[in-house]
Amino acid sequence: MKINQNSGYWITAWREVLRRPRGVITLSVLLLYLAVAVWGYTGLGTPDWKTEDFQRAYQSPSWQHWFGTDIYGRDVFAKTIYGTRVAITVALIAAVLAGIIGLVLGLLAGYFGGWVDDIITWLYSTLQSIPYILLILAFAFVLQDKEFSLFGFEFRIRGIRAVYLALGLTGWVGLCRLIRGEVIKHRDRDYVVSSLSQGAGGLRIIFRHILPNIFHLVIITFSLSFIGYIHAEVILSFLGLGVKNVPSWGVMIDDAKLELFRGVWWQLAAATAAIFFISLTLHIFGDTLRDALDPRLRGRKGQR
Amino acid sequence: MLFFVVFAPLKGVLKRMSFVVKIKTPNMTTILKLDDLHTYFHVNGEDLKAVRGVSFMIGRGETLGLVGESGCGKTVTALSLMKLVPPPGRVEEGEVLLQNRDAGERNLLLLSEKEMRAVRGKEMAMIFQEPMTSLNPVFTVGDQVMEAILVHEPVGKREARSRTIELLRAVNIPDPETRIKDYPHQLSGGQRQRVMIAMALSCRPEVLIADEPTTALDVTVQARILRLIARLRDENEMAVLLVTHDLGVVAQETDRVAVMYLGRIVETASTEELFARPLHPYTRALLESVPRLGEDKERLKTIRGNVPGLSHIPSGCSFHPRCPIAEEICQREEPLSREVSSGHWVECHLCKND
Repeated sequence: MKINQNSGYWITAWREVLRRPRGVITLSVLLLYLAVAVWGYTGLGTPDWKTEDFQRAYQSPSWQHWFGTDIYGRDVFAKTIYGTRVAITVALIAAVLAGIIGLVLGLLAGYFGGWVDDIITWLYSTLQSIPYILLILAFAFVLQDKEFSLFGFEFRIRGIRAVYLALGLTGWVGLCRLIRGEVIKHRDRDYVVSSLSQGAGGLRIIFRHILPNIFHLVIITFSLSFIGYIHAEVILSFLGLGVKNVPSWGVMIDDAKLELFRGVWWQLAAATAAIFFISLTLHIFGDTLRDALDPRLRGRKGQR
Repeated sequence: MLFFVVFAPLKGVLKRMSFVVKIKTPNMTTILKLDDLHTYFHVNGEDLKAVRGVSFMIGRGETLGLVGESGCGKTVTALSLMKLVPPPGRVEEGEVLLQNRDAGERNLLLLSEKEMRAVRGKEMAMIFQEPMTSLNPVFTVGDQVMEAILVHEPVGKREARSRTIELLRAVNIPDPETRIKDYPHQLSGGQRQRVMIAMALSCRPEVLIADEPTTALDVTVQARILRLIARLRDENEMAVLLVTHDLGVVAQETDRVAVMYLGRIVETASTEELFARPLHPYTRALLESVPRLGEDKERLKTIRGNVPGLSHIPSGCSFHPRCPIAEEICQREEPLSREVSSGHWVECHLCKND
C-alpha cells in the first residue's frame, strides 16, 4: 500500500470518507438531494406542481403520478421535489448563518475569557432558556414582513427568509458552547504558549493555530445541525409560519392530516420518506465525518 | 511613621546599590537583568507568592542555570521574563531589563503587549519542557518554523522556506528538505525538541530561555540537545537561561548557577565554585541528595520535611523549618543576600565566608 503520509489533514480526511462504503453511499444520497434542490431552482424540466385539476383529485400512485395527487389534483411528486428545494435552502442558509455566529462567538469567548466570555455566555444561556420552538416562532413572527435598509440597500423579509433568519439567529448556541469549551481546552496547551513565546498575537493564535485544531467539530456540528434545521423548517411550515403558497414537506404533512381519514396516505408518505432519508443519511454521514476527521478515531478504522 | 517615610526610600536605594555590585562581573556584557521580580497568583482573595524578589543577570554568551525543586518558581520566573504568566498570575513588582540592539536597555514590564510581541521570539525566545505537545499537531514542522520567521521579519515565503531548511540543518535534522513536510507526530521526541530549538532561534534572539529542555527526553538524546544548545549559544553569542532541576545538567552546561527555593534565589555562584563550596544549607542538601557512582552508601540523604505550600511561606528565612543548622534568628529575620566571595552570593544568616 502506498503510504501517503504528507498529503495534508483535509485531503487525508477526504480519502478517509471515500474509503468507507457508508461514506460513499451517504455522500451520494446527499448530493442527490442537493442536485434535486438545484434542479428545483433551475426549473428545467421540473415536474409541474401548480396545475390544478379537480377531476384528478386524490388519485393514488400510478405511472402517471408516481406519488399520486392531492385535493386539487396536483402531482405530489412535483410537490416533493419543490419541497426539497425549500428544505435544503432553508437548512443550508440557517446552518451557515448559525455556524458563523456560533464559531466566531465561541472562539472569542473561549480565548479571551473575562468579560467577553461573560457577555457571550449570558447571551446564549438566555437564548437557551427559552423553549426552542417558541423562540423560533417568536423570531419568525417578529421578522415576518419587516422592511429595513442596510448600507442603502432595501431589504424585505418575506415568508421563507423569516424562517431561515429565525433559525440562523437562534441555532448557534450549541456550536458556540462546543467551540468555547474546546478553545478553553486548547488555550493553555503547550503549542499555544509556545507560539505566544514566538511573538504571535491573539487573533493569529485563534484563527491560525486553534481553529484548525477544532475545525473538524465545526464540520461535524454543521452536518448534524442540518437535520435540525430541516425539521425546524418542516415544523414551522406545518404550523403555517414557514413558506406560504408553495409546497413544502411541512405544508404537505399539514394537508395530509385532513386526508388520512379518507385513506389518502401518499402525500404524508412522500413527505415523511423525503425527511426520513435525508435525516438518516445526514446522521450516518455526520458519524462518518467524525470518524474521518478526528485523528484519534482514525486509527481505529479497521475495527468497524 | 516618620521612621518609615525616611527609611523606606533609603531601603530601595540600598537594595539597588547592592544590586549594582552584584552584576559586576568582568569581561561580560550584561544582556538581561532581573531586579527584584515578584510574581503573585491571585487565588481566592489570597496572593500566592510564586516569585518573591528574584534578581539575576545573564551576560552575552553565558549560560546561567536556574535550579530548584518542583514548584519553587523556576518556570514562573521564566514566564515572567516573557510576560507570559497565565492568569490569575501577575508580575507585581520588579524590573526585567533587556538590552536591545537599537533601543538600548528597556524594562520589558513597561512595554505594551504589542511591543512585547515584537520582543518575543525576536529578542528573547523560549523552548519548553514538552516537545511532544509544544508543536501544533495540524501543521507541518516546516510551516511552524516558517511562521516564526514570518511573524517578525519582512521576508517572502520562499526566503523563509530556505531559511527554515538552513535552521533545521543547523539543529542537525537529517534531510531537512523533505523533513519540513513532516507533521510533528512523525518526528521523535529529540527531533521535535530540535525543531523547537530551530523555531526559537529562527530570528537570532539574544536571550534563549530553556525551560527544562531535556526533561522529557531520554538520556542520550539529552546530552546531544544540550550540546546543540551550547554550540548555538557560542555561534550566536546568545545568553542562555537554563531552567532545570537536574544538577548533572547544571554541572555540565552552565557557567553560573542560581539556586532557587520557594520563590527566592538563595545562592548564586559560578558553577565550579558552587559545586566546590556550596554555602547555603539548601544548596548543600541538594548536592548531597544526588547519588554518585562508586560511593558506598546505604541511603541517600534527603531534605527533611516537605516544600511548604505557597500560602504558608514560613517567616524569616523560608528554609528554616527544614534547615539542619537553623537558629533562632532564622525564624525571626529574613536574611539579606551577601557576597561572601567574588561573585558568590548567598542568602543565609549563618553562612560564613570560610
